[in-house]
Amino acid sequence: MYLYGVTQLRPATPIVQVGVDLQSAVEAIGSEGVTCWVSRVSAEEFENSLAKNMENLDWLATASVAHQRAIQAISQHSDILPARFGTVFRDERSLADHIQKHLKQISRDFKRVKDADEWGIKIFESAPTPNPVPKVSSGKEYLMAKAALLPKKQPAQIPAEELKHFEGALSDIAEESAPAGRISSGQRGLLFQTSLLIKRANRQRLETALKKFSREWAETRRIECTGPWPPYSFVSQDSKPQ
Amino acid sequence: MSTPGTVVFADTNENDQLSLVDILDHVLNQGVIVRGNLVLSLAGVDLVYIGLDVILTSIETAMRHMNATSGLSDEAS
Repeated sequence: MYLYGVTQLRPATPIVQVGVDLQSAVEAIGSEGVTCWVSRVSAEEFENSLAKNMENLDWLATASVAHQRAIQAISQHSDILPARFGTVFRDERSLADHIQKHLKQISRDFKRVKDADEWGIKIFESAPTPNPVPKVSSGKEYLMAKAALLPKKQPAQIPAEELKHFEGALSDIAEESAPAGRISSGQRGLLFQTSLLIKRANRQRLETALKKFSREWAETRRIECTGPWPPYSFVSQDSKPQ
Repeated sequence: MSTPGTVVFADTNENDQLSLVDILDHVLNQGVIVRGNLVLSLAGVDLVYIGLDVILTSIETAMRHMNATSGLSDEAS
């Protein structure tokens, strides 16, 4: 039984959503006054072979996109505490035991993420103004000329003062921030990234602040913002079952 | 490529605008403490990233398949 997350409310109409395995249906189970969102997956795929499957990038990518979609669909109806990817319980009983054991932490986390979403912010070094690739006489020269146009593998740092100013502006808007991007830290030209917990009422302020910095940095840096994400990075480890 | 001076906003409610790497960043950020480290240390972060780039095509296929099978989800949201 794969757990997607826990909500306080249960929507009046059922959510029709396919699960992490692209086969099972997401269903709601009430436990200790909260609603657990699960789907019944193959124990072989998600328990016995989980570690092995996670080293298979095709499998990992498909499953994590499906996991995200399921949680996103639930979060349209209610604030959700997302479970750790790959959280599997043997049966309803073991899920209920876990919820009961972590009820206090779960209730604190609901307060923490109330009316808020996670947002991802990345700053990239701007690609140099595209110079036309010079005339070349061989494939090798062409590739070398193209490579010279790519952002450097080790981009210049953002000056500390500027970064402090940027982070300060965001911390005025965000409830919390969390380190981000263990997967994408190898992206070319990436200078800085963070995850923020932002109240929905402050979404416009975030956009305004990012646009202001983006204009200031127009020549040198590019800002990318993704969201709203379920608060993956702002749920206590304790309340995330293993 | 975006116009200089504009922020690139990608809305999670419109999945097609998101890159796979962003999804993995958030879904797996805190999600997979033990196994995640194992995966990353085996491949190395750069390699994982390159690997993800390479398999984008198969993911696009998978996502199309998901759209076909879970059109329900798009209507529900």
